[in-house]
Amino acid sequence: MLLQTLNGLVYGGLLYILAVGLVLIFGLRRVVNFAHGSLFMVGAYVGYAIATHFGNFWLGLVVSVVVLAVLGVFLDAVVFRPLQREDPIVTVLVTFGILLVLEDAVRTIWGKDFLSLKPPAALAGTVQILGESFPTYRLFVIALAAAVAIGLSLWLRMSRIGLFVRASSVDRTTTAILGVNTDRVSVLVVAAAGVSGRVSAPVLALSPCMGRLILIDSFIVVVVGGLGSFSGAFFAALIIGQLHNFGVVYLPWAATMIPFLLMVGILIWRPSGFAGQHV
Amino acid sequence: MAETFAIEGGGLTRRYGGFTALDAVDLAVPDGEIRGLIGPNGAGKSTLIDVLSGRADDWQGSVRLRGADISRLSAQQRRRSGLARSFQRTNVFPELAVREQLEVASWRAETPNVDEVLHEMGLAAIAHMRAADVSYGDRRRLDLALALIGRPTVLLLDEPAAGLSMKESMALAELLRDLASRWKVTVLLVEHDMDVVFSICHRITVLHLGRVLAEGTPAEIRSIPEVVTAYLGSAVE
Amino acid sequence: MSRQAESSALAAAPPGAAPARWTWSVLAAALAAGALLPQVVTSTLAITLLTQAVIGGILATAVGLLIRQAGLVSFGHAAFFGLAGYFIALPARHGLWPAEVSIVLAVAAPTLLAFLLGLVIVRIPGVAFSMLTLAIGQAFHEFALRAREITGGEDGFAISLPRALYGVPTEIFQRPQSMFVIAWVALVVILFGLHLLTRTRFGRVTAAIRENEERARFLGYQTVVPRALVFALSALIGAVAGTLFALYNAFVSPEMLHWSLSGSALIMAIVGGTKLLWGPALGGVVFFFFKDLAGDLTEHWPAMIGLTLIVVTVALPLGIGGALVRLLQRLRPAGGRTHG
Repeated sequence: MLLQTLNGLVYGGLLYILAVGLVLIFGLRRVVNFAHGSLFMVGAYVGYAIATHFGNFWLGLVVSVVVLAVLGVFLDAVVFRPLQREDPIVTVLVTFGILLVLEDAVRTIWGKDFLSLKPPAALAGTVQILGESFPTYRLFVIALAAAVAIGLSLWLRMSRIGLFVRASSVDRTTTAILGVNTDRVSVLVVAAAGVSGRVSAPVLALSPCMGRLILIDSFIVVVVGGLGSFSGAFFAALIIGQLHNFGVVYLPWAATMIPFLLMVGILIWRPSGFAGQHV
Repeated sequence: MAETFAIEGGGLTRRYGGFTALDAVDLAVPDGEIRGLIGPNGAGKSTLIDVLSGRADDWQGSVRLRGADISRLSAQQRRRSGLARSFQRTNVFPELAVREQLEVASWRAETPNVDEVLHEMGLAAIAHMRAADVSYGDRRRLDLALALIGRPTVLLLDEPAAGLSMKESMALAELLRDLASRWKVTVLLVEHDMDVVFSICHRITVLHLGRVLAEGTPAEIRSIPEVVTAYLGSAVE
Repeated sequence: MSRQAESSALAAAPPGAAPARWTWSVLAAALAAGALLPQVVTSTLAITLLTQAVIGGILATAVGLLIRQAGLVSFGHAAFFGLAGYFIALPARHGLWPAEVSIVLAVAAPTLLAFLLGLVIVRIPGVAFSMLTLAIGQAFHEFALRAREITGGEDGFAISLPRALYGVPTEIFQRPQSMFVIAWVALVVILFGLHLLTRTRFGRVTAAIRENEERARFLGYQTVVPRALVFALSALIGAVAGTLFALYNAFVSPEMLHWSLSGSALIMAIVGGTKLLWGPALGGVVFFFFKDLAGDLTEHWPAMIGLTLIVVTVALPLGIGGALVRLLQRLRPAGGRTHG
């Protein structure tokens, strides 16, 4: 039971990192990136390719970060910024197009079969927790997600961008971003999605649809948490992570129905999510 | 026995994120009065309109319309009981024709006075045009026209003259005074243009930091030195 | 030209106008054209393609209606399409009730489900609504995939239909020549019905809510139920498409619920143009012929439609239908109005 909870925490942590990226971009640009999960997937595959080719897990991680950061700059310059003044749905449609293209590209290069990647030697073992053994690598993922959560909340409290993002999630009419360097945030967000994809590779199997599957769960996290809320997303990610894992283990046929029904239930109870303002 | 007011707010309070936008405000406007609501930015004028009209959530206090408690009614229920409002930022239906949107409004009203409103607001000539295609001044009047459909009992106006020229503002003020007296509408008017406020309002309430600072006739308000120096400047000289 | 000005060029008929006489002529001509087409097009391959295109066009019309009348973009309409298929297939498999009853349920049940879901999700504004519909589609797809005991899992199964449905030989539904006519009539009737609907009070009020939900509330309108009704109507049309598809193929599988079908329907609608009532249906036809032309390239079909979506969204916001109308208007400056 403890191990299952920890496994749920692994998935919840990955969801949180992705959901935070969605929330940040939403806070800054009022748009939602439907290709966000694909970036997660691209990060995983690029890391996989480097790691299997050079036999070095960490090199793969570094290269993924670099590739995704470049992709982040590119997306921001070519998609998010030019379309900022259009209806948000235009960005949704364009990023949905990007999702289709990236998924097809990955399928063409690496095939549609599941691939798996071993964790690095240093983290390959297991740890004894209350008499049960748990893979070290999974603890690493949990620790990483926790580090992101803590780092993010500090950053949101201290920086101007953080101030802006928090303000815009309270007051929806705020549109001007004065003197805030949003490019850097976009790069950071995309790179974070890539990193989480990369670190997830030894935990989840790699497949061209992995990005879309986790995208849907992170959407549920973002909406249930209250659009634009970081703390809401945090709690929602923990809950959805647990439910997902519980579903996969005990009720595989209903694994995707459970988070979905939870979402519907929460939206009936609180139409704007855990932490959402009335809109 | 207590007098029944057209619109009455008691102990209206609204806080968000540690900031108190409205702090136990009491307000009572008798039937047929045009009441001005003035004060510096952030005084709580728009918040007060939002609370009265049902746009705000998480607020305390009570709202009565002609003596009936409407505190728990939604925005649409309040409108159907005769409380209409306009918006600070033009808030119309851009893709719909002028007449079309007034008709949509009239289907919810007991007196569907589309032609009357088109005529009174001077919109008859552009009735067939899409709201997105008409001039700014016409759009402002359309915003007001939407609120006037069904001859509401109480009209809450949030800066109806914002962005209009001085001439347009004064014409709008005349129109409002005329309509209010002929249709017996009670008006609560938030307006930055002090010429408009002082020329048509029977009484004025001054808000400051979410509280009522003063209330009285235009002459009384003019005679309070703090109000004049702080909020009116040269506008009333 | 700005987007706003462009869309004003496509403005609908003046408010309050009764359906003009010519709309009835258009209806009659459209129905006759559909009935005659299988006489002209003798190639079975072509008529098969056309039948698929028309059924796809009905699904795209469902997605387009939601955009046009409610401003809501659905990424999960395959849910209603596929549910209709399973509502026909599963009772037949377990011998629960006659197929005629199943067909009614196949249309009614997704509609009701959409209405109830709509009451919850239309309250979530704009982009978040789209996110939720993606989750809806995925939830049903995964369910059909994983709940093998109930749905037969990934492979799907053949639907055993009786010899006749409502006294009509079932074969009629399965021959492309006759199914084309049925699907065509369904599409024309749906488009005509929607055309009339936009002129009703319900059509006007929902258009107002789409334009400015908040102001509609401050005019005394309850705005959740009307939008949930538009969502339900859109699901109904999607379910009609799914019903036709299931009868035609006599087969269901989770493919009918797959997200890529939802995505394709959305792309058809966008490519065809959602400002126009008939735009999405046109997009459906273009989509299927484009796919057929792509031939060997269909291996990369997802990437191709992805690129098309990007290009059309950015460069041709009114879609092919909108571009056609504007071309016609330019050719005949004094020409008649477009109908919306």
